Amino acid sequence: MSVPHWEILGDSVQGPAKVRNQDWYETDAPADDVLVLAVADGHGSAAYTRSHLGARFAVDVFMRCGRAFAERARAPEDLRRLRHAAGHWLPREIVRDWQEEVRRHLRDHPLGDGSDDAAAFSPYGTTLLGAVLVPGLFAAWQLGDGDLMVVEADGSVGAPLAPAEPELGDETESLCAPRAWELMRVHWAPVADPDRMPRCVSLSTDGLSKSFAAQEGFIQFVRELNERLDTVGADGIREALPGWLAHAGTYSGDDTTAVAAWRRPAGSEDDSGDPRERLRRDPAHPQAVPPENTHPQDAPHPHETEN
Amino acid sequence: MSGMLDNGARLTIDDGHEAVVTGMLGAGGQGEVYRVSTDQGEKALKWYYPACATAEQRKIVEELVGRDFDDDRFLWPHAFVTGRGDGFGYLMDVRPDRFKGLPALFRRRLRTTPQALVTAGLHMVEAYQALHSRGIAYRDISWGNIFFDPATGDVLVCDNDNAVVEGEASGITGTMEFMAPELVRGDVGAIPGTQTDLHSLSVLLFMLLMNHHPLKGRAELAIRCLDEAAERKLYGKSPLFIFDPDDSRNAPDPTEQGTVLATWATAPPALRKLFIQNFTEGLRDASRRVRESQWRDALSEVRDTIVVCASCGRQNMTEPRSATARACWSCGRTLLLPPRLVITTPPPRTERHVRLGHAARLHAHHVRAEPPRHDYTDATLVAELVEHPKKPGKFGLANRSDAAWTARRSDGTSQTVAPGQTLPLRSGLAVNLAGAEAVVRAD
Repeated sequence: MSVPHWEILGDSVQGPAKVRNQDWYETDAPADDVLVLAVADGHGSAAYTRSHLGARFAVDVFMRCGRAFAERARAPEDLRRLRHAAGHWLPREIVRDWQEEVRRHLRDHPLGDGSDDAAAFSPYGTTLLGAVLVPGLFAAWQLGDGDLMVVEADGSVGAPLAPAEPELGDETESLCAPRAWELMRVHWAPVADPDRMPRCVSLSTDGLSKSFAAQEGFIQFVRELNERLDTVGADGIREALPGWLAHAGTYSGDDTTAVAAWRRPAGSEDDSGDPRERLRRDPAHPQAVPPENTHPQDAPHPHETEN
Repeated sequence: MSGMLDNGARLTIDDGHEAVVTGMLGAGGQGEVYRVSTDQGEKALKWYYPACATAEQRKIVEELVGRDFDDDRFLWPHAFVTGRGDGFGYLMDVRPDRFKGLPALFRRRLRTTPQALVTAGLHMVEAYQALHSRGIAYRDISWGNIFFDPATGDVLVCDNDNAVVEGEASGITGTMEFMAPELVRGDVGAIPGTQTDLHSLSVLLFMLLMNHHPLKGRAELAIRCLDEAAERKLYGKSPLFIFDPDDSRNAPDPTEQGTVLATWATAPPALRKLFIQNFTEGLRDASRRVRESQWRDALSEVRDTIVVCASCGRQNMTEPRSATARACWSCGRTLLLPPRLVITTPPPRTERHVRLGHAARLHAHHVRAEPPRHDYTDATLVAELVEHPKKPGKFGLANRSDAAWTARRSDGTSQTVAPGQTLPLRSGLAVNLAGAEAVVRAD
């Protein structure tokens, strides 16, 4: 997908030993300069028999709520109120709407084991990671594992929603937990200067980061992804992405899903147009590498960047 | 970084010195907080978003800086800072890592104890009381601007840049779920001040001790889409306490809100009574809100009578003046109540009850009628319960003060206990502690 200032990439690959892909993702640019991105990872253990559906519902709900939030954020509003909406209203709305989706599905497809209402959510258990970018604001929400990685305008790479402390006990954070909205982590980053919007934002399920031996390797991967996007453009990376995710899955064994939004460098020729235009205009340009040459081995490969 | 200031950015402090940005600490609704390097060492800088860097906000910050408020419970603005353009901000101390935010508590990411939570509540009350006694209203009390040490209960109040002198205008009216109902409704003549702070403080205490909002019961669960109109109804137009003894329409849902049912059951009646008063009569009549001094006394008493369950080792809050043992909230066994030390302070005579459980400690505030604040550090230690080194199971009260005590046994004989000496504990023992009379009671 291409919008005036952003390129969006995304793909999902089933884990090698999985019966089905329990991840889901979606991206949207409902207006110029507005991005809504989401990934979800349905829980993998046997009890979560419908988690692939739970993940899908979670993404659908986030996209709906995220678009509404983006619309609100684009209108002039007191920043404190908007922050309150981001921190309190949206998490609750997401959980409520997700529960409603699950209830609706249960009505048509009962579990048949007499589960009570609260317990009935469990088979649909899933994580959720979503982001909204509008002029002046970058906000993201996370419940459970997964990785929001941000390449800032100055090139630094951060993971703003990484938990500050490791989880206590063995409770998994999930949309199916009681009062799950209270477990949601929120990234809130007003951007007063448009030039300081992040250069690249990626959301991925933990199948990707777990394929690295250490967090440093994953950070390096994100850094190089952004660099490759700067040099090669989005099309080449888009072509290579499924291969990288599949390769990552062979290490983590998990379903692997990633979406990324990349902002073309300010002042670049195609800043306000389709980046593919440049490839067509300048086929001899060294950066205009045909997608077939963007081989996974040449690319910022998950396991070749960690050492 | 996406923030307004780059690392290395140089700003001017009002004393003419320089502050250099070294990293970003966070972003809020009004501005961003940075770590900066100054000739006074490392500080935190709050820098306002352009839309919030108004002349009015500038006046408030300059006034707060000018107050030169020195209290270790507050991260107070202590220097005004400007940049090249119209932007401005202020310096404060960096929040030490040991202080954690309340959202982490609610998300079960902190290990703490009932004692630390009660202590934190007590310190919060005294911190706001200190502010109010100086004629300053905080106006923005919420879980986002108070931090506490989960080990000790020490607190740190941040984001003090919306505190204003009582009666003065401020653009801030607080966060709706902490706002007094009359402010949420926008009643004519209702303005944020110390009276409305009392409501916010009670909400904060309830959330700290009960892990839940006092008005979020079934009515909240029934809200399909939580938005401004729904919040206005919940917190302003139809506020109803979830444990209102005369109206159960907003009682907690046992499935979705089971936590608060459990925490409420562990709270001693002394605390429940104040919460009920504040969130029933106090919702309708501001003059019936629980005052800081009432909270302080109740929390102080509850802290002094926390009992460790002999079976499972969990801390239990007990009813301060009751001799009836209740069941442990964790294992269900009946608690064994340790002896009680009843202290009567010099005039105005105040009675304090302290359970002499394992490692019980008495501090300077225990022997004073109206202590300026409760301080549980070693610096204020007066006495502590110690076990006899050669006779396990025999306990005594060690004199940790710098003055001798006079003890009076039940047979009428007296004994002087010099600093460092230990007085064997027995029922009926009376001792004069720095002018306060203390008696050991078996119940």
